[in-house]
Amino acid sequence: MAKVLMKGNEAIAEAALRAGANNYFCYPITPQTEVAEYMAKRMPEVGGVFLQGESEVAVGNMIFGAAATGKRVFTTSSSPGISLMQESISYMAGAQLPCVIVNIMRGGPGLGGILPAQSDYFQAVKGGGHGDYRLLVLAPSTVQEAVDLMILSFDLADKYRNPVMMIGDGMIGQMMEAVEFPDKDADPKPPDESWAATGAKDRKPRIIKSLFLDPVKLEENSWLLHEKYERMKKEEVRFELYKVKPENEFMIVSYGTMARICQTAIDELEEEGVSIGLFRPISLFPFPSTQILEEATKENVKALLTVEMSTAQMMEDVVMAVVGNRPVEFYGRCGGIVPTPEEVKEKILEMQKTYSK
Amino acid sequence: MARSTSRFTAPIFSKRVIVIVGGYGSGKSEVAVNLAQLLALNCQSKVAIADLDIVNPYFRSREASERLNEFGIESINPRGDFSSADLPIILPEIAAAVESYDGTLILDAGGDDVGSRVLSSLTVTFPADDYEMLLVLNSNRPFTQDVPSCQNLMREIETATRLKFTGIIANSHMLHMTDITTIIKGLDLAKQVSTTTGLPVNCVAVDKKLLSELEQTDIEVPVLPLHRLLLKPWEREDTNSDSSTMR
Repeated sequence: MAKVLMKGNEAIAEAALRAGANNYFCYPITPQTEVAEYMAKRMPEVGGVFLQGESEVAVGNMIFGAAATGKRVFTTSSSPGISLMQESISYMAGAQLPCVIVNIMRGGPGLGGILPAQSDYFQAVKGGGHGDYRLLVLAPSTVQEAVDLMILSFDLADKYRNPVMMIGDGMIGQMMEAVEFPDKDADPKPPDESWAATGAKDRKPRIIKSLFLDPVKLEENSWLLHEKYERMKKEEVRFELYKVKPENEFMIVSYGTMARICQTAIDELEEEGVSIGLFRPISLFPFPSTQILEEATKENVKALLTVEMSTAQMMEDVVMAVVGNRPVEFYGRCGGIVPTPEEVKEKILEMQKTYSK
Repeated sequence: MARSTSRFTAPIFSKRVIVIVGGYGSGKSEVAVNLAQLLALNCQSKVAIADLDIVNPYFRSREASERLNEFGIESINPRGDFSSADLPIILPEIAAAVESYDGTLILDAGGDDVGSRVLSSLTVTFPADDYEMLLVLNSNRPFTQDVPSCQNLMREIETATRLKFTGIIANSHMLHMTDITTIIKGLDLAKQVSTTTGLPVNCVAVDKKLLSELEQTDIEVPVLPLHRLLLKPWEREDTNSDSSTMR
């Protein structure tokens, strides 16, 4: 298929259709409303279901219900809307239901603002809802990667029978880039007959729930989930290295579109004779801790810098990854203000002075 | 940098109010900003631009208002907290300008019928036959790839705005991946829409970097040279663009 110019939000919507996700529930919120607008046009063409809920709480439960039938289902929202969905996300993790949730993040906390931010990192990666559960979290940095990860998200959700969350800052949703879609059969995948609620013809009914009043069964379920998360840590770590070289004294860790701003800073610093590299986590859970430790402890590396559109959230995972072997510095802006390449360069030059002493 | 005279003419607009509309992401704001600069350079009259995008606060023409100011172009935009809001704010100054601005006023509307609907609130002050409404057309966008879908969009926008189209600006691009084929294909669709609707193709918008290549083609329509100003945070302004001047 030829390349088309698409907004991130539109591309995410189309990618979901290509993955055979013909069930979409949503409540509009800036900066991701174009997903719903696009679906309103496209869903009738593919004969799927798009229902706008009366709130994100309703949407979360619609997703639960649709996912229980074993069909591919997804929703998109932005920060405050995702907060409202947390109860049902926890229920879906507990009931082992596959679904895809996209968060096009805006500045928080509270109602916050509508400009780009990465301040829902903790919410996505450390839980958000209650109970011993994890989401598999992916973070694209380009519109093409958003397409690829969206398609992958459905496969991973099915593979682990667990909700997968894709997070992008507002920029990912709003910016336009040329994208290409795989020539893939967009036919909806048939439900997995081993667990889905498909009508109970000629078999016993199945009850899909997250309620386990017997503590032994509840503990059993929690350890079963835990095993899945351990398996994700082994099999689903994704990251990208940019200009990481043995002679580098510093390494930036940054994700999403923030990483692209860091790349511009790195390119320009290189021209000025300063050599640094970028480690870009693509999967935020599982976090590429082992790989960061490996790069961080290379002989010449003096310190790491995490750059975020939030107040040092991912930094905590980077600090845990390097387990005290290297200092980790932070630079970030929030509230919808995006760090400029100049600001990142200045921080690196400052670190150069500090660590050459 | 050597300045050469191009064989292309600049687009001419004689009406007092120029309304720029089109699909989401068709490049309306970039066209509006560059058109304002071209008119300010070529025209005797003064130029003002008003950003009417109330749909969302990303990549809007108000981001370029400082630059436009250097060209003596006045920007009429919401200020302070409201400059980054997605609220339907139409300043009273805009209605006043539509009614009586004594230069050329460019209105940069939001995308689709949804974004351009706000124009209908200005209809009462609109100069009946002293405006142009131009469709910015990018044939690489999903919902404007053929004549029927373009006509559909035009109908939706005309209904929403209660204004009539007067012309088309061909603006096919793939951002930095745009090549001359992109432009020729896009102009071709614009001409087909023109034939069907009877509206003229007022000009083709072309990145300045491609102007010398464009000289080699048999394209005859006026050209609006584009210098991208609405950039992503990691992009740098292009300083090596072709500096051909328009007659």
